[in-house]
Amino acid sequence: MSDRLAAAVAVTRYQKEWFSRTAARSRAGEQIAIVNADVPHEILRALDIPYVVTQWWSSIIAAKQAGPVAMERVAARGLPDFSLQYDAMPLGEQDLPRDARPWGGLPAPAFAIAERSGDVTQKIFEQWGERPGTETFLLSRTAADPVPERWWELVPHEWETAFGTDRLDLLQAEIEEMIAWLEHRTRRRLDRERLAEIMRLGNEHAEWNRRTRDLVATARPTPVTVNDTMPAVMVPQWHRGTQWAVDAARALHDEVADRVARGQGVCPGERRRLMWIGRGLWSDLAMYQRFQDEFGAVFVWSMYLAIAADGYQRFGDDPVRALAARFVGITDQLYVPPWSSDWYLKEALSHDVDGVVHLVADDTPGGGFITEALEGAGIPVLEIRANNADARSTGAARIPERIADFLRTRVPGRA
Amino acid sequence: MTPRAPMLAPPRIGVIGADVPRQLLLAVGATPVRVFGSWVGPVSVAAAELPGAVDAVAARLLDTLLAGEHRDLAGLVICNDSTAHLRLFYVLRILAARGRVPYPVHLVDAPRGGGPARERFVARQYERLAAFVVSLTGMPLEPAGLGAAAERELRLGDALARLRERRRSGRCSGPAALVAYRAAATLPPEDAAAVVDAAEGAAAGAPVFVTGSAHPDAAAYEEIERAGLRVVGEDHDTGDAAWIGDAVQAADPDAVIRLLAARHAARPPLAARSLAAERAAELGRRLDATAASGVIALARELDDGPAWDVPAQRRVAEARRLPFVARLRIGPDAALAEARDAAGALVRSLPQGALT
Repeated sequence: MSDRLAAAVAVTRYQKEWFSRTAARSRAGEQIAIVNADVPHEILRALDIPYVVTQWWSSIIAAKQAGPVAMERVAARGLPDFSLQYDAMPLGEQDLPRDARPWGGLPAPAFAIAERSGDVTQKIFEQWGERPGTETFLLSRTAADPVPERWWELVPHEWETAFGTDRLDLLQAEIEEMIAWLEHRTRRRLDRERLAEIMRLGNEHAEWNRRTRDLVATARPTPVTVNDTMPAVMVPQWHRGTQWAVDAARALHDEVADRVARGQGVCPGERRRLMWIGRGLWSDLAMYQRFQDEFGAVFVWSMYLAIAADGYQRFGDDPVRALAARFVGITDQLYVPPWSSDWYLKEALSHDVDGVVHLVADDTPGGGFITEALEGAGIPVLEIRANNADARSTGAARIPERIADFLRTRVPGRA
Repeated sequence: MTPRAPMLAPPRIGVIGADVPRQLLLAVGATPVRVFGSWVGPVSVAAAELPGAVDAVAARLLDTLLAGEHRDLAGLVICNDSTAHLRLFYVLRILAARGRVPYPVHLVDAPRGGGPARERFVARQYERLAAFVVSLTGMPLEPAGLGAAAERELRLGDALARLRERRRSGRCSGPAALVAYRAAATLPPEDAAAVVDAAEGAAAGAPVFVTGSAHPDAAAYEEIERAGLRVVGEDHDTGDAAWIGDAVQAADPDAVIRLLAARHAARPPLAARSLAAERAAELGRRLDATAASGVIALARELDDGPAWDVPAQRRVAEARRLPFVARLRIGPDAALAEARDAAGALVRSLPQGALT
């Protein structure tokens, strides 16, 4: 596609090369880790431990059509193949025959690290620890209590107010436990000045994402598709704390700024600005552009760029405590109302959207409160209940047909 | 919060979940009242959608609250002891702020895992809980009240110990035991102890152990026992793994709270917040203690924690040459049929003569 962002193409290519190099290092004897997205990766980076993020690796397994066979391997061990599949899929991938493994497969990690969120994640990662050569470390996931107003203004500096001292004390202590656990197993020592530099780079990275998000919010016509911003934002997120990630975020910003300066839009005749709330529709990414010709409707917003803009910056003198502040409420921001509903409304207003498609995941609470907040502000919302990663579920939900009907009946086009 | 004026009748404080140290509530003059859902019954659209994916028992529990069935509560404490309960808290926190439920809602977040960092956090949670219940009853948390509460709770614990002994020796059925546990979770300790001590009656059949989802009522147990089995124990928090009858004695409230946090860390592992290895080890201990001749695992749809325990639990049972029957993803309307089916399968796998 000629209009694809160069930044998106570049990071996707880089990620495949990076995985190849990381797998080679592991096969040569280096210890690597598999980690969930919500744990403090920065410690691993500071200790020079390469890590692969579960959710990203699952997306590759699924994209290579290996998801069902991987889940069959999970079931073959007597474990559920119906539960938290995106966390469990890499377990099954380990047991696939070599020629069925995406990109040659993930070498057995030395460390598996996750948070005890939900009822199942800790049990999935416990299974990693049952495998030869892999050990598991678990962090607590405390609940979203208290609830601050306008959290996005608080979290960069006033995170103590946003999350509460008790929650931060616990996660900070557990990060220290994790540091000691890793130091003992790698015979390395954490360089806290290096960790501080990694935090600085992470904040700089987030600042470029904030600028990009603000550009997209105000630009007319819309300069980028969400299909492009999703990979262009998420791949660098897995390299957070590196100069490469900062440069990738800056390259994305500069490319978007250039398009804005040239008045380049992705949707000729743009008449309706849409917001997509929920996880990406990986099974049908082309769907996001399907309404441009007939309706002049363009998706201007997804959570991936927006949370990268608002969710990660944490400034403070103590890098471990600041790191705890980055992760202690990372899921609250996106998934727990009123944290989530207040933020989605703020973003809808700042992007001046005409309508919202809300993919309501069944693993998040209070989806109705998000819809209610938006409609209360006069923004029409289409709620769709489906699993974003499961083509059977999204097919049954008739998403394109329902969006078209929504646009016809509830989202008037601008002149 | 400013303490309210003392009330004339002992205020009832609702509890969802199993992580509340009851001694703290009793010490300020309140009666902890656990609120349950049900194995059977309709689920409204609001209860099915508002919290996201939760099992039918949790959804039915939300329905009872939205229908105003517990309007007499002075407050509601919700434990982060499962995803379903945490989601109920997130929903009810908003509804309480809007006046949709007529009492304040408070979270107790008590992570498992043990160790100093988590115990400090849990102790802080219990301090916050104490402040909340003091605000509801107007009575301060003082050593004398804590001591008296401990004595009341420990007497109830003695009654529950006697109940467990009667179950093991065939003098109390599984359904009767569950009803007794329900009384213990909802009544003042003295009234509860009387109900618990009255729970007896000949129980026949091969002794079985039940694991999996918690049982909000005795309906599934009745199906199991109709098949000729006798439920002699369980590892869920509406039965033997309920945190009832435990209390500590110490000189001051801070010390009591620290000890309670340590007790929490030492409680039996529950499915939603523990590792499969911990659950399997606990099952082994309980099978040895109850002399069960088989295991039935019943797990509801959208209560996935127990399903991950099953392979390790099965190995524990099979190492003892005990049959293990699991029914997972039990649908909202299928509980009784699945319990009946599981019991039948277990009966068929027992050696001849085991039922007598």
